[in-house]
Amino acid sequence: MSTDLDKLIADAKTRAAACTTLAALDEVRVAYLGKKGVLTEQLQALGKLAAAERAAAGQKVNAAKQALSEVLDARKRQLEQADLAAKLAQEAVDVSLPGRGQEAGGLHPSTRVMERVQALFERMGFRIESGPEIEDEFHNFDALNFKPDHPARAEMDTFYLKDRPFLLRTHTSPVQIRSMLKMGAPIRVIAMGRTYRHDYDMTHTPMFHQVEGLLVDEGVSMAHLRGALTDFMQRFFEQDDLKLRFRPSYFPFVEPGAEVDISCIFCHGKGCRVCKHSGWLEVLGCGMVHPNVLKACKIDPERYTGWAFGMGVERMGMLRYGIDDIRMNYDNDLRFLRQFR
Amino acid sequence: MKISVNWLKEFIALPDDAAAIARRLGSGGVEVASVTPAIPPFQKVVVGRVESLAPHPSADKLKVCQVDAGQGKLLQIVCGAPNVIQGMKAPVILPGGKLPDGTEIKATPLRGVDSSGMLCSAKELDLSDEASGLFALPEDAPVGQDLREYLGGDDWLIEIEITPNRGDCLSILGVARELAALYDKPLTKSDVAPVKAIIKDSFPVDIQAGTACPVFASRIIKGLRADAVTPLWMRERLRRAGLRPVHPAVDVTQYVMLELGQPMHAYDLKRLDHGITVRMAKPGEKAKLLNDQTYGLQPDLLVIADKSRVQGLGGIMGGGESNVTATTVDVLLEAAFFTPAAISGRPRRLDLLTDAAYRFERGVDPTGQARAIERASQLILEIAGGQPGPTTVVTAEKTRFKAMPIRLRRARLGLLLGITVPDAAVVGILTRLGCTVTADMDGWSTVAPSHRFDIEIEEDLIEEVGRVHGYDKIPATQYPSRQGMDRLPEARVDLRRLRQVMVERGYQEAVTYSFVDSALQTQLYRMPEAALALANPITTDMTEMRLGIWPGLLKVLQYNLNRQQERVRIFETGLRFILQTNDIKQENIIAGLVFGPKYPLQWGEKDRAVDFADLKGDIEALLRPAGAAGRLVTVLRSPRKSKISVQANLLNRLCRH
Repeated sequence: MSTDLDKLIADAKTRAAACTTLAALDEVRVAYLGKKGVLTEQLQALGKLAAAERAAAGQKVNAAKQALSEVLDARKRQLEQADLAAKLAQEAVDVSLPGRGQEAGGLHPSTRVMERVQALFERMGFRIESGPEIEDEFHNFDALNFKPDHPARAEMDTFYLKDRPFLLRTHTSPVQIRSMLKMGAPIRVIAMGRTYRHDYDMTHTPMFHQVEGLLVDEGVSMAHLRGALTDFMQRFFEQDDLKLRFRPSYFPFVEPGAEVDISCIFCHGKGCRVCKHSGWLEVLGCGMVHPNVLKACKIDPERYTGWAFGMGVERMGMLRYGIDDIRMNYDNDLRFLRQFR
Repeated sequence: MKISVNWLKEFIALPDDAAAIARRLGSGGVEVASVTPAIPPFQKVVVGRVESLAPHPSADKLKVCQVDAGQGKLLQIVCGAPNVIQGMKAPVILPGGKLPDGTEIKATPLRGVDSSGMLCSAKELDLSDEASGLFALPEDAPVGQDLREYLGGDDWLIEIEITPNRGDCLSILGVARELAALYDKPLTKSDVAPVKAIIKDSFPVDIQAGTACPVFASRIIKGLRADAVTPLWMRERLRRAGLRPVHPAVDVTQYVMLELGQPMHAYDLKRLDHGITVRMAKPGEKAKLLNDQTYGLQPDLLVIADKSRVQGLGGIMGGGESNVTATTVDVLLEAAFFTPAAISGRPRRLDLLTDAAYRFERGVDPTGQARAIERASQLILEIAGGQPGPTTVVTAEKTRFKAMPIRLRRARLGLLLGITVPDAAVVGILTRLGCTVTADMDGWSTVAPSHRFDIEIEEDLIEEVGRVHGYDKIPATQYPSRQGMDRLPEARVDLRRLRQVMVERGYQEAVTYSFVDSALQTQLYRMPEAALALANPITTDMTEMRLGIWPGLLKVLQYNLNRQQERVRIFETGLRFILQTNDIKQENIIAGLVFGPKYPLQWGEKDRAVDFADLKGDIEALLRPAGAAGRLVTVLRSPRKSKISVQANLLNRLCRH
């Protein structure tokens, strides 16, 4: 009996090892360990043995059953793993292929600049204001202290509407006027958007964008202007060592007025082709709000002072993104625009 | 304006070179466009004399010249200039010399005849933009002298660009004054000694337009030498400033304008009929000007007229019936003060952007007329002789310039600049700028000099102190941040979010011009009566303000299809402009355009053209942030056109910026 049992186990092992599928292996299991399996029958046959032999024989059969179970389980694990491996192999994807579906578009570089400026000034507690692009002489010129016959007014190259007393705003500064008339002082606002000038050549497009900033409060000085602009430029260009240079200049709506240069962002002021070896880049105009402007907005210039600045969005975009021809901004060539995603 | 540094140094002793002077000017607020050598970098160019010339044996247009260039022997030079004649003096590049562009001139045969060097035109030497032949030098030019030396030696030109308020800097004197303040150095020359009258003749002047012309100074000089020529030094200075010599009397008026900033005019006295009247033009009046063109005059133009006709447009250009010519012997000099308001805008309108108009538009010194007459008289007498009459200055008393005192408070100065400027520095700066300064309790009372009529209020003085003291002394400080928070309504949808939706759905943002093609717009929107036209469009296809964004986007589509882009997804946001019962509505809108396959070319999707449902899906996505995506009403208007609408109150949540 014991040799039978040993042989039985050996046979079962051989058969299990020969199985290549789980189904075949299960057949082997049923043949030996199933309800009518060889080993089950042997266990059932124990009852026919004498009581003295039963215990020893029972132990043997159980040991054999245990051994066989282990063999079958091991083979099952093997086959399962092989199965999984086969399945994985079958379902394998080329993960190096590009993703599928819609690809994202992108914002226009001028919008990117304006959103960035807006985000930075919102962090400084500035409110965003906007105004109409078809403006009147009052908001675009008179209230901004442009005298009727002053060359500064003629130099603006204004677009006018036909047969109507309106013009296309030449700068975003009229939004200063509208905001101050609406909200009074103290005030801190940023305005941005489209502006228009009758000029079309290598370095000018008849439409462009400006950003305007205004802060009016008690005790505001030019040092505060320098502080705000220094912070802004350093953050905008992400250069903490960026330096500012103020040069006296003239805009009718500020006094004192200044033109602001930043140390060249490409060569850090050492001199390169972009800054024409001067180490400086001209970026904006600014100054202290002219008392006539405050008066036009019904703000007392003796109590309040303020600063204002205005800058060209395209200029900032060209510096930030290395665009070398302003006209590319308005060709809307997708090959150009797609670089801003 | 190009400022000669040598000329400048006649007025002020400066320790610096041209580049440093330019930097100092720039930091003071006078922008410098360029600093260039006054004489181009040519080499081995000397004064030569054409001793004889003979025809070239094998070329009709060439001549073989024997030239004395002070080399001990004559040089044989082949020359093609039409004006070469025996005895003339002209610049010669010696063999081995170089043109300004670096080209080396060698001794070499030209069409078979040896040629040692080259006779030069002004253009070849970069001394002028144009030339019709050799640069003819005066007879007294010393043969063999280095041309650079002959032209007055090396000099630098600083080209300045002024802001519209600083017309006072448009002269050598003006820039010298500015530098005197910046460098804290005195002017070495400022007053002009009056020229004594020899004859009694003067010309009657009647100012009828006193608001436009408060001062009119004039003087007769009779009996100029007919053979007088403008000396080389003066011609060279005019050339360096970009002007061309015409006649000694005219050259002097130009020279004085450059030197003192006062535009002048010289009339041929014999061509004037009785007295001069300064008045506004009459309707229908015409005038022939110096450029030989006749202009119909509008009543806002100021004219200088004699008894029979208009003899010039005041402050813009002299007339063509009384100008100085080669036969002129008696002249009337004019130096007037025309107010900026009387000139402004007209030169551009007439396309007469003259040097005089440029200065008068920005404002000249209202008290500088007599000085200019005296300086011009001095120079004319030196060059052409003649007998001067007295200088007569006619003023319209009511409009004559009167300087008003301006208060400057110490506290206000400190507040605006954000720094404390010591009292002594304030007084020093203002005094150097020509102000009279009187200290009082909390500041100063000042009177600005006449040439700085742009200084009108306290803030103007503060800027002057600030800029001369140095803007770089103003530190960067932070103004205290604002207390409190702005409202942030959660239902409002920011434009930034809408743009983001479009971008994520594959749209590229475009920015197109707000003025569009009228025909295309009418075709698209069929409401031409609502479109606003521009009075002065920049091109013929950008004449109307847009009624929507589609005209712009269609052009973008066309532009990109022409460049082999087969799939276009673009959007734009911005204002549209609609005229509604005399009211201009400016509304912020968003528009998109899709064309071509739904997806970019890729490995795993079938190529499929976009359809209506794709577009509607994008619109739903756009309206989702406002909670309106599921509430669209779509109506088919025609087989190719449909309208999607949504309740207005939902759209109100979309924010403007």
